[in-house]
Amino acid sequence: MPPAESNDVKIMNKSIVCEDSTLRGDITISQGCVIHPSASILAEAGPIILGENCIVEEYATIAYRLTEEQKRQKEEGNLEPCPPLVVGSNNVFEVGCIVEAQKIGDKNVFECKCYVGPEVVVTNGCVVGAAVSLKCKQVLPESTVIYGRDCQQREAIDKYAYQTLQIDFLRKVLPNYHHLRKPNQDPKRTRSVV
Amino acid sequence: MEIANTYYSKDEYVETASGNKVSRQTVLCGSQNIVLNGKVIVQSGSIIRGDLANVRTGRYCVISKNAVIRPPCKQFSKGIAFFPMHIGDHVFIGEDAVVSAAVIGSFVYIGKNAIIGRRCVLKDCCIIEDGAVLPPETTVGSYMRFTAKGTIEGGQGNPNFVPTAMQDQMIDYTKSFYEHFVRAPAAC
Repeated sequence: MPPAESNDVKIMNKSIVCEDSTLRGDITISQGCVIHPSASILAEAGPIILGENCIVEEYATIAYRLTEEQKRQKEEGNLEPCPPLVVGSNNVFEVGCIVEAQKIGDKNVFECKCYVGPEVVVTNGCVVGAAVSLKCKQVLPESTVIYGRDCQQREAIDKYAYQTLQIDFLRKVLPNYHHLRKPNQDPKRTRSVV
Repeated sequence: MEIANTYYSKDEYVETASGNKVSRQTVLCGSQNIVLNGKVIVQSGSIIRGDLANVRTGRYCVISKNAVIRPPCKQFSKGIAFFPMHIGDHVFIGEDAVVSAAVIGSFVYIGKNAIIGRRCVLKDCCIIEDGAVLPPETTVGSYMRFTAKGTIEGGQGNPNFVPTAMQDQMIDYTKSFYEHFVRAPAAC
């Protein structure tokens, strides 16, 4: 029984979205994504488009929130519609992370309990370590790794390890244990209609 | 050390025949793969991922609010495997902790907000401080303390970091936690 406000959720086929997850607002989930139970994706300001083969684990939150100024504009009733937040492909959002970044590229890993603030731009191949919090306005260059208590920063040496094996495993296992939200979009079919 | 009574409402918790007290507001995935060996408290909002692999806990464990127990995975050249997770007796897991250890011994204390990385090994009688982050594949030996700074302290009979009577203290603590975790008297 999906809640009433989640009727804008578009789920492409081949993706696994558990029913216990919180999806609020206009959300597009591309092919091959795995959304674990009690993950949440909150599209308050505008639509969120989640790229292919992303993993969103338990208690992870991807939020697209209104800024203070936009909230004021909304109250006055002259808020322009926000551009969609596009999350690239092959991203991993681990347990308990909170990501509010304004742009997210491909192949990023957000480890357990990290926080990425709304003024951060995440490019490609970045790793935000466990319990790291990024609050200030910044652009993470490609393949940045941020780790440790003092949030040390360096460039990744080894290439990004694809999570395809994990996604394949989860795609096999999760349907046996969870109620899933049914995919309601098929890119091939919609294309043939057009 | 006496602990004040913690009350829960009758509707919130289920008590099983072996004395486990499990909140209804938990996400126990794959419950057929989860073994709670008796007198275990699982508090509201915690998640145990039994769907990924087996999870087995000993007696008198406490899994606090919003903790996530998640069996670790390892990537091999062919495919991926999630390993079963064993937790010993008298283990306390604090609030909001994320645990992906391979093995947790007995009499272990894991603080609030701690993150135990993939395939860590926690031996008997160790302490993980609040907010500590264990990198993947860390081993914490017995009577060692993993600090929030990220160092491992103690050992060699040094009682400044882990009390010598850690075993007895954890038995006392978890037992009294269990005994003081009681159902609220019916409102009249």
